[in-house]
Amino acid sequence: MPRVSVGPSSVEAPPGQSVLESLLRAGVWMPSSCNQGTCGTCKVRVLSGAVDHRTSPLETLPQEQRDAGLALACQSHPAGDVEVAPAGPASAGAGEVRTHPLRDLVARITGLEDVATDTRRVLLSLDEPLAFSAGQYVELEVPRTGERRQFSLANTATEDRVLELHVRRVPGGAATDRWLFADAACGDEVRLTGPLGDFRAPEEEADDGAPLVLLGGGTGLAPLLGIVRTALERHPDREAVLYHGVRYASDLYDTERLVDLEQRFASFRFVPVLSREETRAYRTGYVTDAFLADVASARGWTGWLCGSPALVESGAAAFKRRRMAPRLIHREKFTAAVPAAPGSPSETLTSPLTRTGA
Amino acid sequence: MTTTQQPAELAWLDDITMTELERNPYPVYERLRREAPLAFVPVLGAYVASTAEICREVATSASFEAIIPPAGGRTFGHPAIIGVNGDVHADLRSMVEPALQPMEVDRYVDELVRPIARQYLEKFEDAGRAELVADFCEPVSVRSLGDLLGLESVDSETLRRWFAQLNRSFTNAAVDENGDFANPEGFLEGDQAKAEIRAVVDPLIDHWIEHPGDSAISHWLHDGMPEGQTRDREYVYPTIYVYLLGAMQEPGHGAASTIAGLFTRPAQLEEVVDDPTLIPRAVSEGMRWTSPIWSATARISKEPVHLAGLDLPAGTVILQSYGSANHDTGLYDAPSEYDLHRPPLPHLAFGAGNHACAGIYYANHVMRIALEELFEAIPNLERDTEHDVDFWGWGFRGPTSLHVTWEV
Repeated sequence: MPRVSVGPSSVEAPPGQSVLESLLRAGVWMPSSCNQGTCGTCKVRVLSGAVDHRTSPLETLPQEQRDAGLALACQSHPAGDVEVAPAGPASAGAGEVRTHPLRDLVARITGLEDVATDTRRVLLSLDEPLAFSAGQYVELEVPRTGERRQFSLANTATEDRVLELHVRRVPGGAATDRWLFADAACGDEVRLTGPLGDFRAPEEEADDGAPLVLLGGGTGLAPLLGIVRTALERHPDREAVLYHGVRYASDLYDTERLVDLEQRFASFRFVPVLSREETRAYRTGYVTDAFLADVASARGWTGWLCGSPALVESGAAAFKRRRMAPRLIHREKFTAAVPAAPGSPSETLTSPLTRTGA
Repeated sequence: MTTTQQPAELAWLDDITMTELERNPYPVYERLRREAPLAFVPVLGAYVASTAEICREVATSASFEAIIPPAGGRTFGHPAIIGVNGDVHADLRSMVEPALQPMEVDRYVDELVRPIARQYLEKFEDAGRAELVADFCEPVSVRSLGDLLGLESVDSETLRRWFAQLNRSFTNAAVDENGDFANPEGFLEGDQAKAEIRAVVDPLIDHWIEHPGDSAISHWLHDGMPEGQTRDREYVYPTIYVYLLGAMQEPGHGAASTIAGLFTRPAQLEEVVDDPTLIPRAVSEGMRWTSPIWSATARISKEPVHLAGLDLPAGTVILQSYGSANHDTGLYDAPSEYDLHRPPLPHLAFGAGNHACAGIYYANHVMRIALEELFEAIPNLERDTEHDVDFWGWGFRGPTSLHVTWEV
């Protein structure tokens, strides 16, 4: 069996697994984020041996980079023994840090609850616990389609037996309209792979209790719920503020849960913001503007952004305007699902947002 | 003194003045690259190499060796490391290089530079406005190197004034029709700086001779010398002046030019602020875009040579215009534009051959750390559009000031 080596680590690479998968399955950390070839975080330099680039998009890995020996770890497969070194940003610790091993699991649906307009909470029970960090995501196999979709976990790391996903319906979406909002039922089995992603709460020893601000759009709330609860449990007195942006009041969910959290943690504030509706109960506008109005300086704070690319971009700009150090800004973009193959149904092109479904 | 009869089509070279070169050398050098990539420029009293190809060839050719440009020689004296060859050059390189080896730099550079960058940022980071050349880039550069050399007792303002005086003296290059310096009084401020330097450094040298320390200059005196002997201070001083001009000034120039370049590309500035791992690439492009050592080094032919279509006798001085070579359209598309994403070709900002800058690794890390700390503290940095960004210099070049604002 070919082997993949990075830094001091060397792992077996079974057929059918990408370079990244082989490493993550063995618990070896490699910078990675989208796992679908679009973000470039997992770019590696091939030091020896060769890889097959497979489905690596040219936009992320242009020909000249391939010629220069670069590859996308998440898309490329080893062609024999291969040694790689991370070439992207944030490569510190690659191959040295042990991460939660990537696993294939079979879960059972134990909850399907409508919580807001076109929004469902899905609970997946596991026979054995899954090790992950708050904020990471899993990939579900969409029954009957051969497709996979990514969904963020709303759990903290100790909630490792029942995974909680927040799913927004996408008209015509294979995973949502035609499965989780259609014939999916409690008791059904679901195949999943995880954990994945670099949007995750820091290790406890690296968490110094600094203030944090979280901006989530729609079901982008999910990973923030895991992250903010983890942060508050570690440092109950820390300052934390979570902005949840939706269009209408009927899109809000988990408000009671968050108000309850406010009551338990005196320095935590929850701020729902509606962009398309004026009410007496909630603020109107965009979450980034609400943050700018409320927070005079975010120096030394950590920031967490999850939602559409527009929200993540404007949120990062707002954080920097309030002088948050860029290295403390964490981003999870819900990006368009990449069609599984040329000629696959056009809905996957318009579909949208991975990690909350499609 | 080399003199030459110009062909008629190059008569325009007679009209070049130092003032226009110092204000903006690019138009003249663009024309030189196009019409006469190796040409005798009367006001400089020397040949000028303006393309990447010729600069590289001259820098690495066995037919040439180093010579300090005349105004530089008048300023520094002999033997300055940039103008000597053979055994003396080898000894001076062996004297300065230990502290500049990458592994050695890695050992100390973060601990040296980061607290200094923080210290200067603390003075203005909550003010909402600053002039980055005087408030940050130059002070970080001189304080870091000053502490490394053993000049902790010399304040940063003095170190900045010294390099500025030495700079103007070193680049006081204009000659008259006889080949004599056109402005001899221009060397006086360099002489004055050197007198001040000697008044400060002589007692330090006295001390280090008796009590070797960990400062770079103390090592220069002792390293490689037989027990009980030190290098003569007169032998070391010209190289001290090289440091107190170029090594003090250029990391500040390079950092300021990089920021000025990024201000011309706001999206690229944003990228670099968001991803500090791009800073080394941003600095490299800044060094190409406005090369700090623009035209301050020279070579002299050891024998008759045929170069760029010209027959040159032995003893011909060629000024290496690295700032021009780095704008060579044969290598770079739209070279006058700052572009973080241009193909990262090697550039000549640090020279080439056996006289290539000894401080490349050190300087790059000083600039990197300075920019990391700046963008970390002020991620919302913007150019203050009420002030223009003016560049100055032909021998050495960088922004004269860089006014910025930010929300606090």
